[in-house]
Amino acid sequence: MTIRLRDLVACFEGVIPSIIATAAPDGTPNISYLSHVVLVDDERVALSNQFFSKTAANVRANPTAAVLIVDPRDGAQYQLYVAFEQTLDSGELFEEMAAQLRATSTQMGLGEVMRLRGVDIYRVEAVHAVPSTRPRLKVPSREAGLQLMTVAAITRKISEAVDAGSIVDAVLDGLRDRFNFTNAMLLLKDPTGERLFTIGSRGYDRSGIGSEVLVGEGVIGTAASERRPVRVSDMSRIRRFGSAVHASSYEENRTRTILLPGMQDTMSQVALPMIAHGSLRGVLFLESSRRLAFTKEDEVALVVVATQAAAALALAETEAGEGQPSEPTVAAEPVMAGRQFRVVHYAYDDSIFIENEYLIKGVPGRLLVHLLRIYLREGRTEFTNREIRLSEELRLPDIKDNLETRLLLLRRRLEEKAVPIQLLRVGRGRIRLEVAGSAVLEEAAD
Amino acid sequence: MLGWKGASIVLIHEEFAAFMASPVMIVLGTRDGSLVPEIARAVGAVVHREEGRIDLMISEWQWPRTVLNVRANGQLAVTFARPSDYVSYQVKGQATVAPVSAEHITLAAGYRKSMCAALGELGLERRIVAPWLINRDLVALRLTVEEIFVQTPGAKAGQLVERQP
Repeated sequence: MTIRLRDLVACFEGVIPSIIATAAPDGTPNISYLSHVVLVDDERVALSNQFFSKTAANVRANPTAAVLIVDPRDGAQYQLYVAFEQTLDSGELFEEMAAQLRATSTQMGLGEVMRLRGVDIYRVEAVHAVPSTRPRLKVPSREAGLQLMTVAAITRKISEAVDAGSIVDAVLDGLRDRFNFTNAMLLLKDPTGERLFTIGSRGYDRSGIGSEVLVGEGVIGTAASERRPVRVSDMSRIRRFGSAVHASSYEENRTRTILLPGMQDTMSQVALPMIAHGSLRGVLFLESSRRLAFTKEDEVALVVVATQAAAALALAETEAGEGQPSEPTVAAEPVMAGRQFRVVHYAYDDSIFIENEYLIKGVPGRLLVHLLRIYLREGRTEFTNREIRLSEELRLPDIKDNLETRLLLLRRRLEEKAVPIQLLRVGRGRIRLEVAGSAVLEEAAD
Repeated sequence: MLGWKGASIVLIHEEFAAFMASPVMIVLGTRDGSLVPEIARAVGAVVHREEGRIDLMISEWQWPRTVLNVRANGQLAVTFARPSDYVSYQVKGQATVAPVSAEHITLAAGYRKSMCAALGELGLERRIVAPWLINRDLVALRLTVEEIFVQTPGAKAGQLVERQP
């Protein structure tokens, strides 16, 4: 029976190292491990390696080589007899492999060492199953039809969601309930474009809402900077950044930084860029404690979900911006009854502490102070996106396209910290401030 | 001058000898008469330091082409790689095929056991690694070492450590 390359897709996940043998013109063989073998199509594979100079020299003189690949599900080995065709140093395939390599090497702290110089394309002339006394497991591959149905179910929920918060929930609940992917985060790009902030998560001991990732850093940041999916099937070889740092509210109060949630024993990760209208909106990230938790087919399905979410969020932003004009709400005295609590605002970074607990900083912090000031001055509790956008006091030209998601971040973080101030969405482009008790707003200088 | 045997011996340093005999993955490269390369795995190595020779145990049943290639032209490259940290060395030279001794068989059994344990520590189950450690119809490839190279990924990869004078 002829083995097709497409049947060996699991061998190209990069879990078990592949091997290449070549021969110099004088016959001297060379044998070397490979960092990365990629399935190009049914007739070609691509190899990337920054180190194997003897192999590179050999195939330029004698293009015939042998490559041993291993199925990580049952250990089955396949020997490919290949012929070197050409080296690529640009193009879609090169960029994809370079992005993957950068994503893993920034985490290993190898940076420059792992820079991809070229991708060697080989034509596969024969595939030979290496005999084994062990039975080969028949692992059925997931049906594409099933994946498509799952994607359709999730995108339907997304399309029915009417505001940014429900869209985020539809994505994360859908991944958990339909795909059974239990650990996921959705991060959005902040207006500076330098960072992504977590707007929702599932499966972690704390939500990490408001935690940030630098664009270009790690698997998530690389998916953002490269605008490509990044998938790692075996994290045991990669040191996970920040995993040793134990998250606590004490740490949050001290550093004014919310830590990214994470799994101690993460093995597989996949990050999908969320792009709409040609611009990056955020990153959808999933992880698992299992090796090979995300297949290439899963990645393709998740790209559809991430893209749909990006489009829906972009639309929600536009619609909320249109908002209805502000209706005059009943002007009342702010509630001064109930328990008194302190809200401290640090002007230099707009960080907010409620009852000495760090809440948030930056634009969402500024937004909260703005709303609270109006509430304390006029007793008003309802606000429209439109008036916030036009506010002189806020001076925020940069939040034009991000107001809805900034408000969502603020709302979720208030919920998470269970503080006596909560923000409710009461209609398209309208929010309500709910204050339980008597708020005392203090301005702090440092 | 490759293929030229017997005149001098590459003394294998004690640390290399210890490394080669420890639980490291052993992969073999050979080639046929048309310079088509072939890959195989060995299930253990016995280092004869003073003779500059390494015996590699390999299943002829699993890797018949490799054994054929060695019988035909003797040219052999072997990479020893430690799975936990990728420390690797490549050894090149001329080899012959010999029947296995009782000692070879015992050592191969020990190698399989320790290799299974080492890979197990990295999270690879026994059923996954078993196809890489087959011992049916073992033969010994007697390799006379001519060159030793550092193969660990990084700046020193490909650097020559020892060469037959």
